[in-house]
Amino acid sequence: MTEIDVRQRVLAANIAAAQALRSGFADSGTLVVNLISSPGSGKTTLLEATARAWRNRYRLGALDGDIATERDAERLRQSGIPARQILTGGACHLDARQVEKALVEEGSRLSDLDILLIENVGNLICPTSYDLGEDFKIALLSVTEGDDKPFKYPAIFARASATVITKSDLLPHVEFDLAAVREQIATLNPAGRLLVTSARSGEGMDGWFALLESELEAKKAAGAAVLAT
Amino acid sequence: MHETGLAIEVYRIARGAADAQDGGALESIEVVVGELAAVEPDLLVFAWEGVVAGTADAAARLAVAFRPARQLCAACGEIPEKAAGSWLRLCPRCDGPLAVSGGDELDVRRVSFMERERREEERQVAG
Repeated sequence: MTEIDVRQRVLAANIAAAQALRSGFADSGTLVVNLISSPGSGKTTLLEATARAWRNRYRLGALDGDIATERDAERLRQSGIPARQILTGGACHLDARQVEKALVEEGSRLSDLDILLIENVGNLICPTSYDLGEDFKIALLSVTEGDDKPFKYPAIFARASATVITKSDLLPHVEFDLAAVREQIATLNPAGRLLVTSARSGEGMDGWFALLESELEAKKAAGAAVLAT
Repeated sequence: MHETGLAIEVYRIARGAADAQDGGALESIEVVVGELAAVEPDLLVFAWEGVVAGTADAAARLAVAFRPARQLCAACGEIPEKAAGSWLRLCPRCDGPLAVSGGDELDVRRVSFMERERREEERQVAG
């Protein structure tokens, strides 16, 4: 019997693909956001509102991960931005190779964007492990899901740069302790931001847009600094 | 259940490592799984059995070494106490902030394999 030290990361192939994507996004100055949440928490609705507000202001594009149907990509195309569905056929997350393949197949429609919005498969667990070459992850939590979720699914809430509470217009109708969520996020992720939004009423959407815009400016500035050297 | 996809990657890496040394059937593989890797060790082993079933490596055993995340206080050092199912925010001894580190490991650490069984004609050439 032979025993050898390997010391290789299990996700080495995904990490390499994600690094290649990240390098391409740095060249094009594209801000890439990986949105992760449970099914039905409002990822597509938040992106529809973003598309409608910004489709004439920035070059936006989206990738939508789902097990089945073209529904989400179709909704975003209806909102005026190019979008491509990635059907995983049962897999619970997107990986970097699927993103790369989708971008290659979509060609010029999803290249040289200002912002690429990646809507992951609805799942609070598995997508957390897969780097897609994004600048940051956003976790969404709708008020109907319950205020105990950050501690129950700590990995995603610890890694997301910001948690976006959605459907805040329903707060008067559900028992959802916002202070408890704030405390859990602060515990898991002291640097993580918390936004409270409703795409329906418009509450808090300015905070979401300000977050994207400041990150976009930082990305463009970083790209300009590299070009200047 | 993304453990199946991960088990396939573990098999690809282990088989590749053995092939690079002209090795035979895999015997055991040791992987390190961190507390924050979002991977359930029992499910990974279950998925592994499905991945190698029917291959020449069907008897290969997957051993999982679990690595907890560490809570560190700048003043008091490592803090082993944890809140149920999660991490503490403040040091229980001095109320200073706690930093969580490590626990995100997901690595193939060691692979053992048998000598490759050679066919009769190969033995004659080699001998």
